Amino acid sequence: MTGRRMALALVLVFVISALFLTRLVDVQVVRANELQEESEAVRTTNETVWASRGSIVDSFGNDLALDVDRYDVSADPTIANDFRRNGETVSLETAMAEIADLTGAAAEEMLYAVRQDPDARFTYLVKGVSPEIREMLGELRIPWLQMDLVRERTYPFGPVAGNITGMLGTDRPLAGIELDWNDCLAAENGVATYQKGADGVRLPGTTTTLTEPVHGGDVVLTLDSDLQWYVLQQLAEHGGRLGAESASAMVVRVTDGHILAAADWPTFNPNDFSQTPTENTGARTFSSPYEPGSIMKAIGIAMLIDGGYTYAEDRIIAPGFFEVYSGKFIKNFSVASDTQLTTAGVLYSSSNTGISVLAKRMPREEATRYFQQFGFGSSTAVNFLGESQGVVNTGDSLDVVTRYNQFFGQGISVTAAQMAGSYQAIANDGVRVPLRLVEGCRTNEGELVTTPVGESIPVVSASAARQVVQSMEAIVSQGPLKTTLSIPGYRVAAKTGTAEIANSSGYGSERVISLAGMAPAEDPEYVVLVSFTKPQTSRVSTAAAPAFHDVMSHVLKHYRVAPSSEPAILPPLTW
Amino acid sequence: MTALAAPPVSRIPRSRPVAPAATRPNGGTRAAPKLRYIAVTLAGIFAILGGQLLLSISVSSGAYEISSLKGDMRNSQQSLQIVAEEIGALTAPDTLASLAGSMGMVEDNNPAYLRVSDGAVLGEAVPAASTSGATVYPVTAGTENYAPAPIVTDVTTALSAQALAEVGAEEATLAVVTPAGEADERVIQPAIAVAATPTVTFGGSIPSPVTR
Repeated sequence: MTGRRMALALVLVFVISALFLTRLVDVQVVRANELQEESEAVRTTNETVWASRGSIVDSFGNDLALDVDRYDVSADPTIANDFRRNGETVSLETAMAEIADLTGAAAEEMLYAVRQDPDARFTYLVKGVSPEIREMLGELRIPWLQMDLVRERTYPFGPVAGNITGMLGTDRPLAGIELDWNDCLAAENGVATYQKGADGVRLPGTTTTLTEPVHGGDVVLTLDSDLQWYVLQQLAEHGGRLGAESASAMVVRVTDGHILAAADWPTFNPNDFSQTPTENTGARTFSSPYEPGSIMKAIGIAMLIDGGYTYAEDRIIAPGFFEVYSGKFIKNFSVASDTQLTTAGVLYSSSNTGISVLAKRMPREEATRYFQQFGFGSSTAVNFLGESQGVVNTGDSLDVVTRYNQFFGQGISVTAAQMAGSYQAIANDGVRVPLRLVEGCRTNEGELVTTPVGESIPVVSASAARQVVQSMEAIVSQGPLKTTLSIPGYRVAAKTGTAEIANSSGYGSERVISLAGMAPAEDPEYVVLVSFTKPQTSRVSTAAAPAFHDVMSHVLKHYRVAPSSEPAILPPLTW
Repeated sequence: MTALAAPPVSRIPRSRPVAPAATRPNGGTRAAPKLRYIAVTLAGIFAILGGQLLLSISVSSGAYEISSLKGDMRNSQQSLQIVAEEIGALTAPDTLASLAGSMGMVEDNNPAYLRVSDGAVLGEAVPAASTSGATVYPVTAGTENYAPAPIVTDVTTALSAQALAEVGAEEATLAVVTPAGEADERVIQPAIAVAATPTVTFGGSIPSPVTR
């Protein structure tokens, strides 16, 4: 009996063990992966590890564009009801009113969002509230309120440099540096998983980063946002006064071609551009070519002097009318009689016929080459997104009239950036330093990868450049704009321009008025260019003078340029 | 569990008989050490289990601490960001210009310089017009909406009052800027109301501007 019982027990033990073993193998081996996944799915939570898109900073490190924390506020409609707080019942309406009070959102809209689909588990109430507001919302202790972190792009200085920084759309960069330098700025959010207990607390040692977040690098600009703001203010003030359609200005440092300010008016606020017309959301300084008019004469004279065709004191007779071919005349703005001018005087009095007499001495191919050397007809070294190359007519398209016209800035189209760049060459003893807007990309390791500095191009001789600067100095110190343009204590050189705007039937009555110049004249450090398109209250360049004066004097003060100590030596203007 | 329990139990009886068998052949005396060993073993097991439990309790309470510290860190970062954003808004050029204007400061574009080496005055000092820098223009609208914004709006007034309040008592130097004209009187009121509360005498020293 005991033997059989023993045997039975053994068999039972064996069978039970076998059952357990089978189950064990099934759980541990056969369905192991499946079960493990299932269990992990229950415990595991994925989380986005936010990476910051890089900032766009000015040359002083001020943030022009940066990522900040914002919160999307949402509710669970199934539980969005009255609730109790401090022993009092708070109605849904009251709660919504409280939220509306803090966030500025409309309470009715939020109520509608919650009520339109009562079975939904999720609906947005307000998007993008600041951390400050989030804290206050948290203090309301509304049980069905949820706030999720998101990253948002902000532009702390608003419209100040919007034309340059461009802006970010909902999911991608739309314009400017944001788009052009996206490779540097872009960040990639990481993903991490962790397991949490029943109470939602993260279990220790379970966080696994699946993808490391990659923070974006910073783009360092050469801009000075204080100056940029000031310049923009001047454009707004004077552009508004003149009833102009638009205005642009640029400030360039002579020694290294750094663009310190590149302003366009009207501009836009990259924080909120939904109502802005498209034409105001770009950088006209780079993208809008125009016929510059007489400010081109400074370049023309420099070319002619460098080519050996004339010199500042050279005596010529500027005719009342310059006959290009039989019946086709070039005329002056006001003077209709023959005038005895020096070459400096041609620039001083902005004589179209005078410069045509001189231009006749230079072969047209040579002139074209010079214009190209000055940077016209090709993008600046900045290569700004959507930058225009302008047009320099060559070969067959350079007709017999245009050949002369281009010396006084008609029949050639340039951008404000190109124009400022050419003046930089005149200011820098004839050596054109490539313009620079982006200093480089500072990677997230903190290393500044500088953009390559292009090669400087000697365009005209130092002597030719000096003679032009001296002639331009006469405009400021002796010309009719003397009182408007001169800056006490400083020697300033500048040239005015009133360009006609071409339309389908030739040149109309609309104008672009501009001033370009440099200071201090004895050793120029800064180039300033301002231009107003289609001014209404006054259509002559003198109207642009106050803006130029204000910008230039501000630049000299802002950068602590020492007042001039040497007296000016001006060339004779007439004979 | 099984792995822990099995070896001690199976090993002890095997090694034990060698010594006691020689001295005490009596079976009754062999039972007592066996019990002791079992007790010791069990106590050991429970000690280990208890230790493990305490350890896991402390680890998981550490997790709560980490979680709360992370929350604190997050809050601190958030406060930092809030403050940094405020600073950003206050240092924006147009805010600064508005604040300066609201305090009656004007812009002088013709400064003169004093050369320290020989005391020479460089440049020609020209007094600034009382109106220069008094207006901040909107820049996003074209001429169709052209209207110079008055220098001080409610926002900037609030900002300047707030800024001055935050600057604090010992830095109330901004209050020495007197309003330039009648027009600014209304504007400067809140700023002075805040800044003038602490009575600070400068004792002849040069009031230093508040810089960041």
